Amino acid sequence: MSPAAPLHADPGLQPERTVLSWGRTMMLFAVVGAVFLRWLPHYGLWTVGLTLSCAVVAGAIYATQRRRYSRQSRGIAAEQVEADVPAVLITTLATAVLGLLGILAVLAQS
Amino acid sequence: MSEDPVRADPQRGRLSSRLLAHGQEPDPRFTLANERTFLAWIRTALAFLAGGVAVEAFAAEVFADPYRTVVSVLTISVGLLISVGAAMRWLNVERSMRLGRPLPMPLIIPLLSFASGVAMAVVIVLVVLD
Repeated sequence: MSPAAPLHADPGLQPERTVLSWGRTMMLFAVVGAVFLRWLPHYGLWTVGLTLSCAVVAGAIYATQRRRYSRQSRGIAAEQVEADVPAVLITTLATAVLGLLGILAVLAQS
Repeated sequence: MSEDPVRADPQRGRLSSRLLAHGQEPDPRFTLANERTFLAWIRTALAFLAGGVAVEAFAAEVFADPYRTVVSVLTISVGLLISVGAAMRWLNVERSMRLGRPLPMPLIIPLLSFASGVAMAVVIVLVVLD
């Protein structure tokens, strides 16, 4: 009874930890989207767009988790992982745009 | 130029070839650790964002109107600054690792400490005055 061949032999479990970190980030995007729903009664229907954007980002992270794990595991095994520039930039952009829209909404309301 | 690692590795993406042009690929463990640190900062930014949105949504009885707007905008702004700072720090650390330089000082840590301190002071003052 030999288990399936592991993708990498890193005892530090780097790919697991990184993928879990993305998972926590994904959940926080979902939480932020849920909090935005609280604006719906006061700010109008467009706030659903903010919630949907959060859902899209969370869904995109979820959809790429498997590929991320296998890419990082193979990278650890080959001793070379390319830095994931697009993921970092997109995550930052999404957070910054959500913040900016939130500020504009609060200022427009007051 | 033929030894330039950017050209030597055609498998690299365009963005990483452009933004991380120099030096050599660092230890993959460090690259992943840098990614996790970035994500931890992004979650901090998202927490500030959610906090600011929640102040505006839930705290109507706690803070009078102008104060609530100020607290909410300030909190969301901190989240915005931290998210941009997280990406810049990630890029700077990645560049330093590629060039074998010492890692840069984290400028967003004093920003975070200052912002948290100010936020708590404002909330305490507003709650006591109320």
